[in-house]
Formats: sequence, structure tokens, C-alpha cells
Amino acid sequence: MGPESQGFASQSRHHYWKMALMALGVTCAVAVGLYQLAHLYVLNEAERNIQAVLLAHKGMHRYIQEVMHPTFYKLKAEGLVAEKFYAPEILSSSFVVRNQHKAYNEERKAAGLEEVYYKMAALNPRNPVNKADAAEEKLIRMFNENKELKNYREVVQIGGKDYLHVAMPFLVNTPKCLKCHGNRADSPPGLQLLYSGEGGFNEKVGDIRAIESIRAPMEHQYFFLYILFASSFAGLLVLAGLLFLNTRLRDMVRVRTQALAQEVVERRRAEEEVRKANEILEDKVQERTAQIAAANKELDSFAYSVSHDLRAPLRGIDGFSLALLEDYGEALDATAKDYLGRIRAGCVRMGDLIDDMLQLSRVSRGAIHREAVDLSAMASEIAADLQRATPERRVVFEIAPEITVFGDAILLRAVLDNLLGNAWKFTAKTEGAQITFGRQEEGGKEVLFVRDNGAGFDMAYAGKMFTAFQRLHTPQEFEGTGIGLATVQRIIHRHGGSIRAEGEVGQGATFYFSV
Amino acid sequence: MGTNMILLVEDNPDDEALTLRALQKNNIINEVVVARDGVEALDFLFGTGVYAGRDLALMPEVILLDINLPKINGLEVLEKIRANERTRLLPVVILTTSNEEQDKIKSYSLGANSFIRKPVDFQQFSEAIRQLGVYWLVLNQGPPLVKG
Repeated sequence: MGPESQGFASQSRHHYWKMALMALGVTCAVAVGLYQLAHLYVLNEAERNIQAVLLAHKGMHRYIQEVMHPTFYKLKAEGLVAEKFYAPEILSSSFVVRNQHKAYNEERKAAGLEEVYYKMAALNPRNPVNKADAAEEKLIRMFNENKELKNYREVVQIGGKDYLHVAMPFLVNTPKCLKCHGNRADSPPGLQLLYSGEGGFNEKVGDIRAIESIRAPMEHQYFFLYILFASSFAGLLVLAGLLFLNTRLRDMVRVRTQALAQEVVERRRAEEEVRKANEILEDKVQERTAQIAAANKELDSFAYSVSHDLRAPLRGIDGFSLALLEDYGEALDATAKDYLGRIRAGCVRMGDLIDDMLQLSRVSRGAIHREAVDLSAMASEIAADLQRATPERRVVFEIAPEITVFGDAILLRAVLDNLLGNAWKFTAKTEGAQITFGRQEEGGKEVLFVRDNGAGFDMAYAGKMFTAFQRLHTPQEFEGTGIGLATVQRIIHRHGGSIRAEGEVGQGATFYFSV
Repeated sequence: MGTNMILLVEDNPDDEALTLRALQKNNIINEVVVARDGVEALDFLFGTGVYAGRDLALMPEVILLDINLPKINGLEVLEKIRANERTRLLPVVILTTSNEEQDKIKSYSLGANSFIRKPVDFQQFSEAIRQLGVYWLVLNQGPPLVKG
């Protein structure tokens, strides 16, 4: 990762912190709204439940007053009920409903539900049980002041617990009501007998005499609220998380895509550069190849003209020297004849030099045609040739069988010609001369060698042997042009091999080579 | 009906002299016609130029042909000899200083009968000329003369 992308990463980390905080803030704000909404819903739900109870109670009140009371008065008028009879257990709707609610609460309790506080609250009730508490008194006044108001709802705390307090106006005094709730003196004597004091009397028409007040605990509702809110909030959080993750993933994909695109561009550029460099190199190679080809061609014609033009005068010098000797021999003294002999020897030597140089130049030119070459057979042929040329010499040849290599037959022939020829030459003055062509292992590789027990050489000059025209012996000791080993080395190198010499003066020499 | 004549095509006067000397030394007394370049050689063989009107019934027993020649080189001369009905069967011995493989291949491809490299050592050269004379002039049966 480069410094540029590291900077980008830290920048994007910062970016994600900001985003995460923002997402959290938005989530909390939404959660608050959600809580409010859930709360309202729960309150409404609770109120509806309470209202259902209140309406049921109201229905009971109405039944008593609108069905049972007329029946009661009719029976009284018919004398079926005693004039003085009054029983709140039967005739007071508030008594009946209050006790019916008591029974309802007992049933709730038995069913494992919380009790619901219920009161028919009045400012001046006949039964002190129905006396409005301070909050209810306030409500009765409020409903009286504002007759349009039909409903009241508030969450109140009782004993440290939340309750929903719902109230609604219950009774508006009608003239009929005043029969029992007007002046005490005008009310039925049974009633007067039953209730002492002014409670429930002295009401006025149009006034709201009582309210239904009910307080239901919110604990259960809150539990519902919490579950609702918690699950909604959890859902919200998951959603926000997913959204955040999605954004992050998108960002990551975008960043990666950008990085990849950048990389593609860079790769293309690098490829283009490599291609251009290749083109330049190819051009250079072509140029050099053309130069080399031209140089080779020049070398060819040079070698050709050397072969022709340098040898022709030599032949003239030699030929006419011999003509002199033959035709005018009697006129020449011994010294003159010796000089002419030296001239002729020089010509032959120069002819050999030219031939060897030509061979050296020839092995450097032209392609190598590789094939399986039986070097053992080749060495045997050369040995036979050497022996035939100088039959009087006694040399023991030891040639290892089945040495086959993959190389150019003509060039390898030149190698063996030179090496075996050298061995032959340098053992000329050795008693019991022996020449060996064999192979041995060196570091897992097969190395071939030509060994003789001839004149040998000083290892100090081992490196110089392969340089053209370098000789370690005088022509008087051993003849030679000093080009043969240079030719051998060049051929070996052209085959991708190597060659080295080991020897000791008077102890023979060994040439190791690989192809 | 051999005339036993030799056509020597050689531009180098030294080589010419040495060749003639070698022939003489080896007692080859046949007539030797010397052409000093390719054009002269062809003029002689085809009876043109300086040899216009020559009796073309007289053809050399063997042609000793150098490769490096002025005007028309030996290989071109050989090609023309082989292309001409009258001369195409004449024995041609390439006698040259060259040792190049290409020259050998071209010579034989064009129909040379022999390829001999002139040695520097005159004694060897002389020996080569002797053997050449014995072979081509004595042992070898030349082609029948082409009538024209």
C-alpha cells in the first residue's frame, strides 16, 4: 500500500466515524419520535379499554334509572311496594355500579389482572364513599365550567406507579333528578329516613352532579410499550446498521474499483513502456545483426582474397627458387643453396600459417549443424591417419569406446585433428609414447580429455596456449603455427563447452574439454 | 581423334610459367594454349574475338581452369562451356588457389570434372601437374568430338 492510499484510508476512516455518528443521531431522533408515537398509542389503547368499562357502567346506570326506577314508582303507585320502601342495593345506580365494579375487581384479581380504581365522584354525595378527592373535585368544576368538554385523560402517579386517569362527566341534573336530589324536605320520606344530612340534596338543574373517574395502572401497558419500542428500536438499529454497512461496502467497492482502475492504467502504461523498449531493442538488434552480417560478409571476402591472393605469390617465390636450384645449381655455392632452401622453407611455413588462419576464421563463421557424432570412431581414424603418415613411429593409442556427443561433425573433427595431432607431435621425442582419448566425471558432468606423455608444458603458460600465434616451443623443437589451439577453443566455445590444459614440462599434457 | 592439346586458363604469369615448367619437367610435351582471362578462353573455345575463324574441330583434351580471373571468372567460363553444345563434354579441371567450400560446391554443381588446389610447395605442385597429365592425357578417354 502506497502512502497515497494510506492517507486515503485514514481519511475514509474519519469519514466513517462521522457517518456512523450521524446515523446514530438520526436513529436516536427517530427513536424518540417512535417512543412518543408508541406511548400515545399505548395511552389511547388504555383509554379505550377504560372507556369500555366506563361505558358499561354508564349503561348500568341508565338501566337502573330508566328501566328499574319507573317500574319501581309504578309498583309503588299500584301499592305493590310500601310507600316508605327504599333500598339503595336495588335502587341506587351508583350503589349498584360501585358494588358491581367491586365484584368486577375481585374477578380481575382472581384472573391475575390488576384492579382498576373506579369512582362515581361527586362534590356532595349522599354516600361519603362517593366523595370526590381533590383531583376529582377539580375535574368536576372543570367539566361544569366547560360543558363542551366530554373527556379527560392524564397519567398520574399513585404510590410511585403510573396510572392512567380517565374521567368523563356523568350526570347533568334534570328536573326529574331533583325529585331525589332537590330539597331534602321535598324528597321521598324513605330517602330522608335513610340518609341524614344534606349529602346528595340541593342540586341545581343543568349542573354536572358527578363524574365517572377511573384509574387504571399503566404497568402492563408500559410493558407493552417497552416491548413495542424496544423491538421497533432494534429493528431501526439493524436497519441503520445495514444502511451504514451498505454505504461502507459501496464506498469500499468504489475505492477498490478506483484503485483497480488506477492499477489497470498503470499496468497498461508499464506494458506500453515495455513494448516500446522492446521495439527499440528489436530495432537495435536488427541494426546490429545487419552490421554483423555485413562484417561477416566482409570477413568472408577478406578470407577468400587471403586464400587466393596471399598464396599465389608464395607459390611463385617457392617455384622460382626451386627453378633457380634446378637450373642454375652448378653456378651456386653451398651458402646460396642454403639461402634458397630457407626461402622455400619460409614459403611453406607461410602457406601453413595462411591455411591455419583461414581455418580459424572459418570455424567462427557459418552455422553449427548439430548431430550425434561418434568421437571414438573419429579419434581412431585420425590415429590411423597419423600412423600412416609416419609409419616409423611407435605410439600406443588408447581410445575409450562409445564416446558420442551432439555437435558439428566437421568442426569436432578439426578439434580432434588438432588435439591428437599435437599429442602426436609432442611425443615425437618420447620413448614409449602413449596417447589417450577418454572421458571422466567432473562435478556430475562428463568431461573428455586427450592425454599424452610427451614434452608437456609449464603450467605458468597454460592460459596463453589458446591465444592465436602463442607458442610454447621454438620451431626448432616442434613445428607449428600457434593457431591450432585457438581454433580448438573457438570451436569448443561455439558448442557452448569449455577447454583447459594441464601439464608439466617433460611429463606430458592433458587437454580437458566438454561440448 | 584427340589433338592432345591442353587449354590453360591462367591470369597469373608466375603461375603460368610454373605450370608450363611443371608440364615440361614431367615430360608432358602436348601443345599448351594459354588464355589469360575468361573472355580469351571462351574466344578460343567458340572461335570468336581474336580466335575468329579458328578451326573448331581442334578442341583441347583437357581444360585447366583457374577460378579467379579478370573480366569473366572461371565459374562463369565453366557455365558457358557446359551450356554450349560443342564444348559441353570437354573435361574441365579446376586448378585454383582457393580452398573454399563454396567454390568446390559451385564448381562441381556447374559440371567440373575435377578440383585441384595448387600447393605452395612447387615440388608438390609439380607432382600434382604430373599426375594430372598422366590421368587426363593418358589414362582418361576423352569424349567423342562433337561435329558442328
